[in-house]
Amino acid sequence: MMDRGILSGYDLKRKRTRIGYSVMIAIALLMSITMIYPVLTTMLNGLKDNAEVNSFPPKFLPQSWNWSNFDAAWNYIELPLFLRNTLLIFGGNMLMSIIVLGLASFSLSRLNLPYRRAIEMFFMITLFIPPTTYLIPNFLNLKDLGLLDSFFAFWLPAGANAFFLLLLKNFFDGISMEIFEAARIDGASELSCFIRIAVPLSLPIFATLAIFVFASAWNDWFWPSLIMHKDSHYPLSTAIYKYVIQAKMLNLNIRFAILTLVMLPPIVVFLLFQRFIIRGLHLGGVKG
Amino acid sequence: MNPLTKSTTSVPIGPQAAARRSRPQVLLRKYGWSLAFLLPAAAIFLLFLWLPIMKGFVYSFYSIDFVNGNKFTGLDNYRTVLADPDVRIAIKNTLYYMFLCLIIGFWVPIVFAIAISEIKRFQGVFRVAAYLPNVIPVVVLYGLWRWLYDPVGPINASITSLWGGEGISFLSDTSWSMISLVFMETWQQFGSAMLLYLAAVLSIPRDWYEAAEIDGAGIWQRIRHITLPSLRSLILLMLVLQIIGTSQAYQSQLALLDGGPMNATLTYALLIVKYATTRLDMGTASAMGVLMFLVLGVLAMLHFRLDRKGGDAA
Repeated sequence: MMDRGILSGYDLKRKRTRIGYSVMIAIALLMSITMIYPVLTTMLNGLKDNAEVNSFPPKFLPQSWNWSNFDAAWNYIELPLFLRNTLLIFGGNMLMSIIVLGLASFSLSRLNLPYRRAIEMFFMITLFIPPTTYLIPNFLNLKDLGLLDSFFAFWLPAGANAFFLLLLKNFFDGISMEIFEAARIDGASELSCFIRIAVPLSLPIFATLAIFVFASAWNDWFWPSLIMHKDSHYPLSTAIYKYVIQAKMLNLNIRFAILTLVMLPPIVVFLLFQRFIIRGLHLGGVKG
Repeated sequence: MNPLTKSTTSVPIGPQAAARRSRPQVLLRKYGWSLAFLLPAAAIFLLFLWLPIMKGFVYSFYSIDFVNGNKFTGLDNYRTVLADPDVRIAIKNTLYYMFLCLIIGFWVPIVFAIAISEIKRFQGVFRVAAYLPNVIPVVVLYGLWRWLYDPVGPINASITSLWGGEGISFLSDTSWSMISLVFMETWQQFGSAMLLYLAAVLSIPRDWYEAAEIDGAGIWQRIRHITLPSLRSLILLMLVLQIIGTSQAYQSQLALLDGGPMNATLTYALLIVKYATTRLDMGTASAMGVLMFLVLGVLAMLHFRLDRKGGDAA
């Protein structure tokens, strides 16, 4: 069986097709370069001296390599503190998602439920209500509950995510029923079925969940700036936005050095685990 | 079960009374665990999703005051919305932004997915490259693109060196600012959509193409009559998702331009945010949210229907 796609080996023997195919590859290469170029530019600009970043026309490679920019970048704001906040948010959100949504999706998928349809509706309809329409009421609600300026304002609502619920439920739907029957016959309770069978089997879907939760913890800057008022509670993204992107007096090269420091960890993680991550994203499907 | 047995329960007859006593126990044994497992999620959903959604409607009739307490003001907030000339601008900008996202952005991932599916060697490199901007925190991109779009930035440097002339004020020119934002977002986001399309393209059975080729179909005909029809339901779903998503956009408009220059990038959602943060009128912000909800509700229904259909097929 020949490995073919839309084009066959026979097509590629024709000259016109071959030219077209080469043009296509060239365009795909160009696309890849435009994806990678800004990343490299950020890093290299972080190494130039300030006069050089501001010179016109800009050059790609630095003339002098100023590694000391990264010292200045590291000390400009308290990066470790903000990083800790981001990781705190990520960890708490993850724990909350696994426990609350894991239990609920296990119940929806595996257990007897009265009024199943109504219960599913209660959870799933929220998926179709655009979040911007209740953005401000959501803020007011957290304020009414006295959660502003506390990490619980992230952690508790993290359990209210219908998309993750659906993701987990679909996964549990795919686990064979016999395994649970066998455990029940051996006298396992539903809780130990969940903890000792369902959770270990769902590590792949939890990993997918972790990608999404991490991405939002690492990315969100606006929402945290609304609900956190103390600077020392900001996650990394919000801090970068407030003190680096909005800063007027910060030298451009130091700015790029800070951006590089923030950008590198997720890129490195992505490149190391890309096979795994892309597969995980596929598990997440369209509804992201 | 049926109304007859229900009416007879008022007469206490031995065996029936016994059955009634044990019924809660039976129910508990049958549903106890499942309901206990659902309880935390139900509480969280109620408290942090349904409650704010409901409060949005309530607050839209109140003047929100953190110091003196909220006051019922009837339809005042809605009157403010209708009287505000910025609202009309914001709606126009939002529609313009949605339109730009469609014509600049929507087809890009489909085209690249089909192209990359045909690349046999190093396909993984192209995938990773296309997805890379998704991994970078958006705040970094804001800083980066501000510089790329700068009047003396690299894009303008290339333009002036290739064609000469003045260069373009990508961000401060009102006719360019929204286009620049859309271009940036397309660049950043098309990779994740492309991965989905790519998976769909690669799952099309190869012998369909083989058969079409034997029947004399050319390359474009194969794409038009096999590839695109196979992607149809995915394309439709992505279209609805994109329309819903872009109608709510405000973050890059806020971060890069704060709605400027001269309100050229003031979207409806950004105006909601501005009412809440700079104009300190959260009641009106809630009212704008309710109005948006009513409009988007139609789209959401469409999404819901599509999703059901897609779910059944899969």
